[in-house]
Amino acid sequence: MVDKVDNPPAKRIKREEYRRNVQAQQEAPEGSVIKMPQKKFFRQRAHANPFSDHKLNYPISPAHMDWSSHFPAFVDPDESKKNLSGGRKLTKEVEVVDIGCGFGGLMVGLAPLLPDTLMVGMEIRISVLEYLSSRIHALRNQQQRLKSKSTNTPTDSTEPIATPVQSTDPSSPTNDDEIGTDKIFPGNFENITAIRSNTMKFLPNFFAHHQLSKIFICFPDPHFKARKHKARIVSETLNSEYAYVLRPGGLLYTITDVEEYHHWVLRHFLHGELEDGSTPPGSSKDLFERVSEEEVDADPCVRVMKYETEESKKVTRNKGNKYVAVFRRKADPEWPV
Amino acid sequence: MAGLQHPFHCLRYVNRQSTGQSDVVIATAGRNLYSYNASNGQRLDVWPQVDASAEDKTADAAPASESESQGPPEKRRKLSSHEDQKDGEKEPKSKDSGKKEASNSWTNIPLLTIAQGKYVIIMTSEDKCVRVMNLDNDGKLKQLSARTMPKKLSALTLTPDEKNILCCDKFGDVYTFPVIPSGEYVKPQPKAKPYEPAATNLTVHTKRNLESLEQQMRQAALSKTNQEERVVLNFEHQLIIGHVSLLTDVISVARPADSTVGQRTYILTADRDEHIRVSRGLPQAHVIEQFCFGHSSFVSKLCIPSWDPTVLISGGGDNYLLVWNWLENQILQKVELPGSQGETTVSGIWDVSLGPTADSAEATNTIFVAREGSSQLLCYTVANDNTISQQDTLQLSGNVIDLTGIDSKGSILVSVDTLRESESTSAWRSSSGTLLETFRFTSGKWTPVEDSMVLKINSEGTESLPASLEEKQKKELNETIYSLGNLRKRGDGDE
Repeated sequence: MVDKVDNPPAKRIKREEYRRNVQAQQEAPEGSVIKMPQKKFFRQRAHANPFSDHKLNYPISPAHMDWSSHFPAFVDPDESKKNLSGGRKLTKEVEVVDIGCGFGGLMVGLAPLLPDTLMVGMEIRISVLEYLSSRIHALRNQQQRLKSKSTNTPTDSTEPIATPVQSTDPSSPTNDDEIGTDKIFPGNFENITAIRSNTMKFLPNFFAHHQLSKIFICFPDPHFKARKHKARIVSETLNSEYAYVLRPGGLLYTITDVEEYHHWVLRHFLHGELEDGSTPPGSSKDLFERVSEEEVDADPCVRVMKYETEESKKVTRNKGNKYVAVFRRKADPEWPV
Repeated sequence: MAGLQHPFHCLRYVNRQSTGQSDVVIATAGRNLYSYNASNGQRLDVWPQVDASAEDKTADAAPASESESQGPPEKRRKLSSHEDQKDGEKEPKSKDSGKKEASNSWTNIPLLTIAQGKYVIIMTSEDKCVRVMNLDNDGKLKQLSARTMPKKLSALTLTPDEKNILCCDKFGDVYTFPVIPSGEYVKPQPKAKPYEPAATNLTVHTKRNLESLEQQMRQAALSKTNQEERVVLNFEHQLIIGHVSLLTDVISVARPADSTVGQRTYILTADRDEHIRVSRGLPQAHVIEQFCFGHSSFVSKLCIPSWDPTVLISGGGDNYLLVWNWLENQILQKVELPGSQGETTVSGIWDVSLGPTADSAEATNTIFVAREGSSQLLCYTVANDNTISQQDTLQLSGNVIDLTGIDSKGSILVSVDTLRESESTSAWRSSSGTLLETFRFTSGKWTPVEDSMVLKINSEGTESLPASLEEKQKKELNETIYSLGNLRKRGDGDE
């Protein structure tokens, strides 16, 4: 009887074994086939406490961050170029961040759209992050095999690689997440990566002043209870930090299916109308302006955000609403005289 | 032998020569605030006055009860369970905000600052209340205002013009409000729209979530208030900076104009997650200019020396101090702390600048550093190029708590822990130790001296503790003075 109590449930054993195998695949020699990971083995409850310490790795400062293992295709060939922690430098800087990237639908969707831009998805939940890392690894591997296949002997197709089960929408970069793709995409997913972090605390540890051109906040945890609103990832005080890492002219994208949260976002980014017509006190709202509807509609990134993230697909399935708001970082105000 | 006495938790020397008044020393001990004549040590006033407690009642009761009824539920839970264990009388504090509230709502005063040489600003601990006192010619203290904060503050300072209070709390927020409120405060009235749950059946789908949504809908029908729009603070204030971390210190500084830019003010904040943030001063505190990266443990103290506003000295849970060109995130010097086996926590960094004296033609700039639960006061001199070098360590008779410079006498006044043994944050003495010690800079070094003012203050003592205390009460008292060590991360976060 005692044995039974101590034994973890079968589901968990299966999960752990699967994830061990996925891990082992990552270390497999070059050229071997890496299967796409299956999401069901990486599910994790959709909330994490941003105030808790967790066991996080983060660099002392952006100048200490070693990106070389994340973007091997972009490592500077000059070996003498090192960052403060001794890692190899990249030929370009990370410019786009998806805060709370979840299973990475946005990253994977954006990768071919902006093939020369380095992008990172940040996620606090450890299993979800593990899935996305494996997914990116598998996608890169698949692209490499597709590339070598097309350059070598196009007749030799005995190798069983990713045969699509259904015809795909040509505009959509991937079909079924768990099958991958048979198409070669610009950038070959070498320009995306995923990192476990708590951005509410450590965003400035990763990115320097004005480093980013785009920040995405997609379907954030709504923290419905008023008592939990402090944990919301959008707030007037936290927006100061987004403004710090975002360059003037850079864009901050938000999307949510919770109407109240949408209004919260608008309220925390934009000055409301004051009844007496006086100027509102200085706040981070001075640093952002809303992007016009036409511009939003024309932005291909918005399309990815609206239709290709896992949450957006779920919302579509449930016939929910999607509320989009995009803000442009204005230049810092002049110093008061 | 007299019973054990509260040590001075905060200590400030107030130089009032410019206004033609005599200097005073302001100190807090236990639940009291004291003022002393700085030349002879005569006690001028104690606040709150025991017999005048009736006066305080009206001033205190209103804001305090406000906070009790509007505080977040977690806090209330904690308070009541804590009270439960103590004894049966848990009700008076939270429910009945009458007499008891006014006289018993705090046990210590951990923060103290002086504005314009005439206002004493303190935070009383348990009621999270910022109180501004008027300090008159005779050193008498009179409360002018009492403003209750949403969370307990960790630091209290002033803007460079000394007209506004800056304070930071353990929830990561920095607030500002005028030392003297500008007028009648009209509380913005939240629009009385009925409460509606933020979730809808479009956004929640699981059975359990749908059930709780239904419950919320029922609740909404009953309650009329919109929780989210609730304004907690009932006085003129501004939330200017927020970290998602526990804030430990806030300072503000004005950089004088140079050839390229005019005078600029900045606010620096330090948190438990190793950050030092540099924001612009008011009214642009929402613009972050820089982060100073270099600490690998929490930061607990920031000090910008009065003689050079471009330099910052910071300390925390590391075994070193960092000297910064803070505007450029540039570490000028890393100063290892001596005897740093085990965990060191910097509990105080003070800059003391003495003008030229008969002894030395040049001004003397000294940085003093205290570590939590240590009776040694580390002493550093600062050269013209801002390199700091260690001098002989000063040995006190007990743990160093606070320090203030007395420039007119060329000396420093150090408050010493009377209750705990040297080098311990928990082992209690059998009889009270010395309250204050003083050192003077003579022939190139700081040496202990006797000062009639100090002798007088020490002989008069502070408030005595009850004859017998339970271990739990002792532990609570220890934590009021030695709480920084708890900021250390123990790596037990969830996954």
